[in-house]
Amino acid sequence: MPRRKPGTLLPLEAEILGVALSLSRSGHATFHGFGLAHAMREHSGSRALTGHGTLYKALGRLEEFGLLASRWEDAETAEGRPRRRLYALTGQGARVAEQALAEAATTARPPRLASEPA
Amino acid sequence: MTPERMAELVARWVRFYTRNLPAPIARRRIGEIDADVHDHVAHERAHGTDERRIALGIAARMIRGAGADASSRRQTIARSSTTKEVKMSKPVHRSAVRVALVTAVVLLVPFVGMQIGDGVDWGVFDFVLAAVLLAGSGFLLELAVRKPATLVYRVAAITIGVAAIVLGEADDAPGLVVFGCLLIGGTLALSVRTALRSQ
Repeated sequence: MPRRKPGTLLPLEAEILGVALSLSRSGHATFHGFGLAHAMREHSGSRALTGHGTLYKALGRLEEFGLLASRWEDAETAEGRPRRRLYALTGQGARVAEQALAEAATTARPPRLASEPA
Repeated sequence: MTPERMAELVARWVRFYTRNLPAPIARRRIGEIDADVHDHVAHERAHGTDERRIALGIAARMIRGAGADASSRRQTIARSSTTKEVKMSKPVHRSAVRVALVTAVVLLVPFVGMQIGDGVDWGVFDFVLAAVLLAGSGFLLELAVRKPATLVYRVAAITIGVAAIVLGEADDAPGLVVFGCLLIGGTLALSVRTALRSQ
C-alpha cells in the first residue's frame, strides 16, 4: 500500500470515487461493497476483484474524510439475504471525484482530499 | 471446497480479526462482508461460474485483503478508548500466564533432574532466584514487545543477558550462560522484527 501524502487520496481511494461518480451519473445514487468491487473490475479491466479488507478499509477512510456517507439497507428490501451497507457520494465527495478524474486525465499528480477553491 | 464452506471460512476470519473491537465496528464489518460474500456467490452463480472457481475467487479476495484487515484492526485498537481497556487488561493477563508457564516449565528441568539423579542439587533459594530471574526477564521481553518504540526494555534485557553470561562464566555455571545467550538472542530477534515492521 503506497504511503499517503498529506491531503491527498491514495490511488485506490481515487478509483473508488471515480467509479462511484460513474455509478451516480448512470442513475445509481447508492452502491454496496460487492457492486462497487464488480464495477471497479469492469472499469479497470482487471480479472480480480478487490480484496475484502482492502476495499472496506478504503471505504471506511473515505467515509471518515466526509467523501462518502453510508447506511444499512432496509430489512424489507433485503428480502432474506444479508443486509447491504449502502454508500453514496457526499457533495464534497462528488466534487473531489470530479477533480480526481480531471487530474488523472491531465497529470500524474495524486488527487487532493478537498476540492481546491476556484 | 464449496462457496458456502469458503463463505463460512471468511465469516470466521472476519470474526477473528474483529474480536475485542468495539461492538458497532465489529458488527458493521461482519455484516458488510457477509453481504458482500453472499452477493459475490449469487452473482457468479447467476453467470454460470463453476462452484470451485467461485470458492477460489472468494478465498483470493480474503487473502488479498488480509493485510488491510490486520492493519484496520491495529488502527481501530490504537484509536479506540474502549478497546484500550481491553488491550491493557487481556494481554496483561495473557502475558502473565505466558511468563508463568515458561518459568514453571524451565524450573521443572532442575526439579525433575533432582528426582532422577544426583547431578542436580538445587535448594529453595536457587529455585526462588531462578524464578525471579526468569519471570523478570520474561516480563521485560513482554514489555519490549508491547512498546517496541521504547529502547529501555531491550537495553535492560541485553544488560541482564550480558550480566548472566559474565556471572555464569565466573561461577562456572553453564546454565546461566545459556540463559544470557537466549535472552540476548531473543532481544535481538525482537529488535530485528520491530525494525522490519517499521519499514
